[in-house]
Amino acid sequence: MPPSQLKRLKASLREQGITGPPPSNKQKKKNKSRPDQRVHRQAALENIRESFNPFEIKSSARPRKFDYTTNRKERPENARPGVTKSRGEELRRKSLLPEMKNRHRVGGIVDRRIGENDPTMTPEQKMLERFSREKLRKGASLFDLEEADEEELLTHMGQSIDVAGKHRPVRDDYDEMDDEAAGSDEGGFRRQKRKRDASEEAGDGEEEIREEVPERKKTKAEVMQEVIAKSKMYKYERQQAKEEDDDMRDELNKDWRDLMPLLKGIKGPPPKEPEPEQNESADPSMNPQRAAMIAGTDSRTNVEKEAAEIARLAAEKEYDQRMKQMLADQRAQPSGRTKTEEEEAKERADLLKELEEQRQRRMRGEEEPEDDDQVNPDLEEDDEDDEDGDAAGFGLKATRSRPLGIDDEDDFLLENDLIASGSDFGDEDSDPELSGDENSHDSEDKEANERMKRDAQPDSTLEGADPSSVSGLPFTYDCPRTHEAFLALLKKVDIADHPKVVQRIRASNPANVHPDNKQKLSDFSEILVEHIHHLGSIQPPPPIAVTNFVIRSVHSLARTYPDVISAAFRRCLSSMHEANDIKNGDLLILTAIGSIYPTSDHFHQVVTPATTIMARWLGLTIPHADHQLTTGAYLVALCIKYQQLSKRYVPEALRFTLVALSMKPVPSKAIIDAHVTNLLSMADLWSTLPAFPEIFSPHALTALTKLSRKRAITHLNILLSSARLSRRPLTLHNHRPLPIRTALPKWEENFNPDKHYDPDRERAESARLKKEYKRERKGAVRELRKDASFMARENLREKRERDKAYEERQRKLIAEIQGEEGHEGKEYEKERRKRRMG
Amino acid sequence: MEPSNKKRKRVQNDAEYISRKDEKKRIKLLESQISESRKHYNNIPEITSLAKEGHPETAKLAMESLCGVFSRLMSDGSMTSQKGVPREEQLIVEWLRKQYDEYIRLLLSRLRKTDETILLNFTMHLIRQEASASKTDDVWTSTSRPFFNLVRELLVSEIDAVREAFMKKYIEKYDNVRYYTFGSISSLLTGQSSMDIEEQAVSNCLKILSSAEGPPATKDDLEFFGDAPTDKKDKLYSSAAHRRRAQDVWLALLRVGLNKTQRKAILRIMTERIVPQFNKPELLMDFLTDSYNVEGETALLALSGLFYLIREKNLDYPSFYPKLYQLLDTGLLHSKQRSRFFRLLETFLSSTHLPAALVASFIKRLARLALHGPPAGIVVVIPYIYNMLKEHPTCTFMIHREVRHSDDRKELEEEGMEDPFDMDEEDPMNTWAIDSSLWELEALQSHYHPNVATLAKIISEQFTKQAYNIEDFLDHSYNGLIEGELTRNVKKTPVVEYQIPENVFEGQIGLLLPKALEIS
Repeated sequence: MPPSQLKRLKASLREQGITGPPPSNKQKKKNKSRPDQRVHRQAALENIRESFNPFEIKSSARPRKFDYTTNRKERPENARPGVTKSRGEELRRKSLLPEMKNRHRVGGIVDRRIGENDPTMTPEQKMLERFSREKLRKGASLFDLEEADEEELLTHMGQSIDVAGKHRPVRDDYDEMDDEAAGSDEGGFRRQKRKRDASEEAGDGEEEIREEVPERKKTKAEVMQEVIAKSKMYKYERQQAKEEDDDMRDELNKDWRDLMPLLKGIKGPPPKEPEPEQNESADPSMNPQRAAMIAGTDSRTNVEKEAAEIARLAAEKEYDQRMKQMLADQRAQPSGRTKTEEEEAKERADLLKELEEQRQRRMRGEEEPEDDDQVNPDLEEDDEDDEDGDAAGFGLKATRSRPLGIDDEDDFLLENDLIASGSDFGDEDSDPELSGDENSHDSEDKEANERMKRDAQPDSTLEGADPSSVSGLPFTYDCPRTHEAFLALLKKVDIADHPKVVQRIRASNPANVHPDNKQKLSDFSEILVEHIHHLGSIQPPPPIAVTNFVIRSVHSLARTYPDVISAAFRRCLSSMHEANDIKNGDLLILTAIGSIYPTSDHFHQVVTPATTIMARWLGLTIPHADHQLTTGAYLVALCIKYQQLSKRYVPEALRFTLVALSMKPVPSKAIIDAHVTNLLSMADLWSTLPAFPEIFSPHALTALTKLSRKRAITHLNILLSSARLSRRPLTLHNHRPLPIRTALPKWEENFNPDKHYDPDRERAESARLKKEYKRERKGAVRELRKDASFMARENLREKRERDKAYEERQRKLIAEIQGEEGHEGKEYEKERRKRRMG
Repeated sequence: MEPSNKKRKRVQNDAEYISRKDEKKRIKLLESQISESRKHYNNIPEITSLAKEGHPETAKLAMESLCGVFSRLMSDGSMTSQKGVPREEQLIVEWLRKQYDEYIRLLLSRLRKTDETILLNFTMHLIRQEASASKTDDVWTSTSRPFFNLVRELLVSEIDAVREAFMKKYIEKYDNVRYYTFGSISSLLTGQSSMDIEEQAVSNCLKILSSAEGPPATKDDLEFFGDAPTDKKDKLYSSAAHRRRAQDVWLALLRVGLNKTQRKAILRIMTERIVPQFNKPELLMDFLTDSYNVEGETALLALSGLFYLIREKNLDYPSFYPKLYQLLDTGLLHSKQRSRFFRLLETFLSSTHLPAALVASFIKRLARLALHGPPAGIVVVIPYIYNMLKEHPTCTFMIHREVRHSDDRKELEEEGMEDPFDMDEEDPMNTWAIDSSLWELEALQSHYHPNVATLAKIISEQFTKQAYNIEDFLDHSYNGLIEGELTRNVKKTPVVEYQIPENVFEGQIGLLLPKALEIS
């Protein structure tokens, strides 16, 4: 509880030394020295009085809220609203009132000269301030060569007050004086005059001259000559220096040529002339554009000016070109050392290993590692976000896109054996070449093309009629743009020669020779996909080698045009899906997909639908004819081939096989054999599946027993018993137990209520901004309101004053009139009385 | 030769046309004469004979005019015999009735053959006239009257158009027509003639019944063909009576003996349409239990009706769960009723009071079925099993079982184990499923379809989700899966196999290809 009012008054009086024990003599003496003691006492009393006036001080009526839980900044305990109010009022009177008064003023002269309204400044100060301000405004940057022109220098009475001559920023136009001499008279005159004045008044450089002839005042001509001589000397000196620089630079350039190869580290052809030396005249130290510009601006006569202008423009253009070239230029890079064989082998092995790892990753359906630049993670995210049902999470409604491996096409060669001049069909059966060396790739390609052209030269005149070529085929073909065109092309050709045609079409339109060829080949690859389908529907079926070759061609093209070919395959799949049946051509397409694309992937844009379509056929077809059984056997075998690496389970394949095996009447032996083989390879494939016995045990065994296939039964039995041996109860849930959700509040050490503990930074920031905005807004509103009330008050006051003045005037007038009237009345009375009397 | 022939034909046509025009005029004349005076009554047989034998168009006109004639006669009371009238008068009335009956017979025989719904309208128009003339509902119920005969004709006729028109225009619109139709049908089905009820009649009857709906909720919504009964307590006003009629006719139909497709059709609409029309749904019990005992799809369909009875009517069905268990056969996941069945199964097995052994049997059996099922089926089974395991935690031994005893462990190491589950056991309590493990689901984790495989992984992950919504998984199919993959845009370049194989057709496929290609 604070002490009582009285006590506090006493205490403060004592504190100020007004009451209390009388001061000792010493103090008195000391106080005597202070003459203002009385004043001081008065002031102290006033202070105390004021501070104890309860109407001057505002204190809160009740204790502050949450005093103990918060440690907010304390408001001043004793606010003094009167003081603040009067201060605000004062402030307004100063700033708002003049504004108000000048509100409807139009025109007038405002003296904005520096220091004009400031009585505290002496005239010297004013001048100094003005000068320095002027200087600041003019003084552009030190490196601003364009602006630092003579004409814009500070002048006094029309003459330069700048330090002249050598202190000027170094300028490259050495012919300044020539300019002056040959320029218009006026300019020359002005310049001369300035020069002389400069020398007379302030110029440091001119000081010496003056010293030489201290006494006699020079004639104008003398001065002129001096000046001219001097500037000529400067010019000469500058030229000299420049030439020296040029010489040195030339020398360096020469040396540079010798140095270059050393830097590059390889012999190589001598580097091309880096630049045509057409900017020789200009100062090499500055950029050519600028030099040209200066050259243009500084030329004197009109003709010259025009010429220079043109030259300048040309130079600018040249400069731009050069600039672009330089940007596009590749730096000389050290080329790799020739690799040894072991290294190459190792590299190849590494590449294979990496590819295999990628395949494994894709098989497990894992995400690509982050650092892979071909991954675009946004694809995975946008699909997963909108989960419209439980099923959607598993891609059953909105099927999600899965990560995919990359396949860097540059790492591979287009098989050279496919491009090479087609002489031998059997040749292309060699192993596909795998190479990481780009250089050799290019050169070999080129070689192959040249050879092709050479070979093609004699034949190209007569189509297919040349006796020298073995098969009678032309060596070059235009790339067919539609499948019909391609078929028309093939019509005349024996079916065994189709691969050669394909080969030659590919070879005669290499993508790196003509830009159009890329598009052509991409079209051709689509045609080939169609052609695969077409091959299946030909009767009698073409030799397997032909189909094989076409598929392999598509495969090698698929490296270059993966999108086009996959789109073509997906179109085939769509038509298969719509037809709801699998034809012979479709069989070939499915086979091609199995060989071209990695079938082990967890998800693949082409393979997954292909597998599903096969599974649908196998799952929904009830075979009742031989051809269905054969197609089914083929599809089952294909499924097995698809799953060779990933060993995924295809229930439909097993179902179809079992249906086929248990058919009555029993189909031909060949078909049964095929199905039994399929069954056994399926058993081998899935022998590691945990439910292997359940998959094969009752039905497959009984089917085999009915057909009495002893060997197959024993094979299956062995697999079954080994599966039985390795069977263990499932332990799928060896997870770490989930932590129990804690309900304890989060405890903050040294909690500060002013601080934001929001973990979300953005939200905290926005909250802070909001609060600040609110505060500012409130303040502004309050200020505006006060302003308005102030203005209203002022207006009222003014009006009152006006009214008062008006009334005053009115009263005066009335009084005057009344006085006059009274006087006149009296006069009248007087007169009348007079008359009456008279 | 030819042109003249044509010409002649045209001439002939013209002649026919003219004669027909004359006939039409004549019919009009005859009809107006009848309405003028009684002495022209003899025109009636004349028109009738025209209707019988004339050209189709003329016949139609004749029918129409006859309809007009009779309705006029009925409305002015010339066809009702009053007491105390002279004998001659009565004779005339009788004669008229005879003519009328003949006309009706003619109409019905036409209806049986043609699909001219206008004839139906004539018949119904006359029936309405008759009904408004008489006080009792004899017109509707009597077996000798036109309405009964009409219903009989509709039942046996093979022409759908007329029956559909009848259903649409009369049964669905007018409550009394429906009421009396049901009555007629049930008396037809139960009558003496029930012996020789043809297949056609049964299926027609089913068609009529399955499209008919119950009476409206309030009396004010009742619609009457003809005049509404004046007595407010008339049976036609009571919805119970309506329902009773429906119930009777349905029961009659069920008793007739249905073939399999009809039975299925009935079961399919059982809970939505039939049960609400019954006063006593218990009466369906026999039918439903019989159906439930039939193998295959019929039993699946009977489930929902049976469930309704169990829930609402306290039907005691002791072998319900064993029967349900037996329904889980190989065809289930392929069946069209799959989603329907799983919806019900979810309800049946949601009770937490079920013994764990029973639930385990269901789980294990479903897993077995999924092992050989199509992806669409697997996709339902997996989340369903997840929900079951979540709801019956005692069954989670099936996915995680640790062998604690050292002897057991040793034995397991040496000999491995067999699946203790007995697939052939019919009683779900004795299958030993609870001692087994769900290896099937683990195998499905390597299903060829990526979505299925991913879904199967939920079994081996932590069970953090409360339950999956089965509804989301029900309606998938091969086509949906394939379309989902093919219609999606390829955002990323597909990966290409890095090694080009020497021979694409290696091994088995190389051997099979020529054969597969040979046969087209």
